[in-house]
Amino acid sequence: MKKILLITIIFLNAVLTVNAQAKKPTIMVVPSDVWCNQRGYMLDFDNQGTYVQVPDYKRALQENAALLIVISKINELMASRGFPLKNLESVLKSLDGEAAEDAMLTSKKTGSNIVESPIDKLKKVAKADIVMQIFWNVNQMGPKQSVTFNIQGLDSYTDKQVAGASGTGQELIGSTLPVMLETAVLSHIDNFNVQLMSHFDDLFANGREISLRIKKFDAFPNDFETEYAGEELGTQIENWVQKNTVKGRFSTTDATENMMLFEQVRIPLFDASGKAIDARAWAKGLQKHLKDTYKIEAKLMTKGLGQASIVVGEK
Amino acid sequence: MKNIKFIITLFLVVSFSTLSVAQQRKADKDTAAWRYEIEAVQTGVQGTYLIKVWSYSKKPDVAIDQAKKNAIHGIIFKGFTGISGVPGQSPLANSLNLEDEKADFFKPFFKDGGDYMKYVSLSNDGAVAAEDRMKMGKEYKIGVIVAVNITNLRKDLEKAGVIKSLSSGF
Repeated sequence: MKKILLITIIFLNAVLTVNAQAKKPTIMVVPSDVWCNQRGYMLDFDNQGTYVQVPDYKRALQENAALLIVISKINELMASRGFPLKNLESVLKSLDGEAAEDAMLTSKKTGSNIVESPIDKLKKVAKADIVMQIFWNVNQMGPKQSVTFNIQGLDSYTDKQVAGASGTGQELIGSTLPVMLETAVLSHIDNFNVQLMSHFDDLFANGREISLRIKKFDAFPNDFETEYAGEELGTQIENWVQKNTVKGRFSTTDATENMMLFEQVRIPLFDASGKAIDARAWAKGLQKHLKDTYKIEAKLMTKGLGQASIVVGEK
Repeated sequence: MKNIKFIITLFLVVSFSTLSVAQQRKADKDTAAWRYEIEAVQTGVQGTYLIKVWSYSKKPDVAIDQAKKNAIHGIIFKGFTGISGVPGQSPLANSLNLEDEKADFFKPFFKDGGDYMKYVSLSNDGAVAAEDRMKMGKEYKIGVIVAVNITNLRKDLEKAGVIKSLSSGF
């Protein structure tokens, strides 16, 4: 009887492992800041007294037909490779719609409004796990025209370029911009995907790369240099990260008494039960460890699949 | 007399076909030994690569025929270099040993008239430009422009489990 039970458990475990699917990263095509700036699609923004310019994607999409052609062609080609992308225009429309709905939404009994913290508001932007940033420039040489095209695949959490393709197309006479842009996309997308594939292979072999920030609230009476169980809290956190990363791979980029920054943290794609995990599920383990072992409350915040922040002291 | 004529004709036919088979075998060996060159011609229409394949043979016809096989072999295992304004492409295989690892798949795939034929077509009915026909010692080096249906080739290789798809594992 015990043998049958054991065989059943092994079989179920094997089935679960075989069927396990890692969390799929989202990808979205956006025009680069340089492209937006060259064509005047920028918004002026007063950031607490500092004048900054941010790209105005909405206006770019409404006014530039060539951009729409390029985004749509890339989306089409990626969908044909079994990897449909998030569409920037649709995401922006969804955000607008959601904001309008939230503003109007009240509860039936008391008329309560939706609660939204400043952090929640900040997070309401078009985002994806990997951003495909595109840029092109039309080069004019007498009657001849060519297009310089660049695609960069940027990981939103590690800030690393995970894929890229660029080049200048053939010099042509009398060709139209949409045709030249379509040719540029067709020329470069496969090489881009080869690099993207290598990135995914690396992710499956060495774990998902994430970043983890640890901070403390004012109200927390101790800091990361305070000793817990014979070691500084910062060291205890490092020990936990070491134990819970693939092959113990991570870098402690910054560490002070008030904050710690871990980068190139390679987390497993699946937990012990074979369930797919991301930065949130993984960092919850640390949050729980701090509470169970050292009785420290902590607040966990995440951004997509690959960025987690833990603020110790309270929730 | 009639018998002698018949025997001579038979002898010539057998010799000729044996020679063709030998040439074809030699061409297949060249393909397996990567003895061909591929370069980009221009960006093909969506889902295709337009490339020029340089193949070697004592008989120009064999080289032209072998160009199709070389084109698919090159796109799967070797990739090709670009020219000014047209980028090269990386191979579909992400392992250098894929041909040996999946020999059960590739042997029938690359046999004469094998499945590789589904994905390749000769441009201009295989007409070879004068500058693309070179005599090198005892053999010819022939450059043939072919169009490869990369979308279908990739899809079928993915379906057969020979290469991984972009979304595999997710």
